[in-house]
Amino acid sequence: MTNASRPTGIVKALGEAPIFAAGDRVKVSIRFPVGHYRVPQYVRGKSAIVEAVMEPASLDNEEEGFGRNAGSKRHYYRVAIPLTELWPGYAGSSRDSLRIEIFETWLERI
Amino acid sequence: MSAHDHDHDHDHAPIQAGDQPPGYYEIMETAVRELLVEKGMIKAGEIRRQIEVLDSRNPALGAKVVARAWVDPDFRARLLANGRAGCEELGISFYDDTQLIVLENTDKVHNLIVCTLCSCYPRPVLGLPPDRYKLKPYRARAVIEPRAVLAEFGTHIPEDVEIRVSDSTAMVRYLVLPKRPAGTETLSEEELAGLVTRDAMIGVVPVENVAAGGGAA
Amino acid sequence: MTDTEAFVKTLPNDIGGLPAGPIQRVEHDLEPWEKRCHALADVLDFHKIINTEEKRRGVEALGSELIGKLTYYERWIVTFANILFQKQLLTPEELARKMDEVAARRSP
Repeated sequence: MTNASRPTGIVKALGEAPIFAAGDRVKVSIRFPVGHYRVPQYVRGKSAIVEAVMEPASLDNEEEGFGRNAGSKRHYYRVAIPLTELWPGYAGSSRDSLRIEIFETWLERI
Repeated sequence: MSAHDHDHDHDHAPIQAGDQPPGYYEIMETAVRELLVEKGMIKAGEIRRQIEVLDSRNPALGAKVVARAWVDPDFRARLLANGRAGCEELGISFYDDTQLIVLENTDKVHNLIVCTLCSCYPRPVLGLPPDRYKLKPYRARAVIEPRAVLAEFGTHIPEDVEIRVSDSTAMVRYLVLPKRPAGTETLSEEELAGLVTRDAMIGVVPVENVAAGGGAA
Repeated sequence: MTDTEAFVKTLPNDIGGLPAGPIQRVEHDLEPWEKRCHALADVLDFHKIINTEEKRRGVEALGSELIGKLTYYERWIVTFANILFQKQLLTPEELARKMDEVAARRSP
């Protein structure tokens, strides 16, 4: 397919395009929402690498917990964090790692 | 009684016989359900149907998916690319909005699944989770000391193999695709499925070739 | 005061990495009402009357004491009642009267 056959001038809606891509280095934000969250405290502030973009964009589950069944759709990212990064003095193998899905608004580029 | 999620031990109430009057929570469940039906928000038939759906989901479904992936490399590739679509190919429908990622165990990576925040579990393909998956010891320890957790199940993974723990917090659910045990080359797909246990698809144990006199399933 | 902040900032179910004891291998079959309760949760989510995330948030909102004392499905049904009241889909009086009716119906 040549570039000439792709439509041009497409404008994506806000939040439609993922901000991060596989391989990006990111940090899980540190903040303390009252009432409901789905980002466990043990990963906050930790550095991670994006393994995959979860498609399609989906609801913010913090908002969904209060009954919002529509709107504010962004991407979740499956990120990889070594267990040695999560736990000081981790006693298992230095290869051991975590995978967890994090909503876009909880990640910062580093 | 279902298991409790708390730190301290206490005795469980005895299992109630069928002719015992319903307890407080059963009365509440009945009352809520009947009111919602009376008000037209749900239909009684929907509850009955969903019970049938739940009863039809059990680890044998996941075992079929694993066995097919073992014998059919093209299916395996499609399954790893999109776990839900792979299951749907075998007629395992998903009655909710969850997605499925199938995690392949290899010589280099051993996968383990957990939901530290609650009890997210691939119910459409495995049925309901075991109580221990929903209780504090597994949920708290799987992400910080997976090797010790696996050891409690008799599973020892060499140090040069990565243990990869997946913590479900959003819409994605996980299913571990265990390694096919050695010495199973002559088994049929159905016989292979018979080797695959629920715990192997959670990742706490490997699949054993029981036919060869290996360890317990 | 900052000594109570931690209780507000940390959900009771956020336990990843906390110290805990050995894994108990016991299993229990669901009682019929528990299975009905699970089916109710799925139907409520399908209709988005109470979605699954609202259920999770509602269970968290029970607080540590109730979470520790109630069993898994007991937490769910109390949560459903609370949320249905908040959404003005049921009233506490309606549920209380219906519960009395159900209890009277099934007593010997």
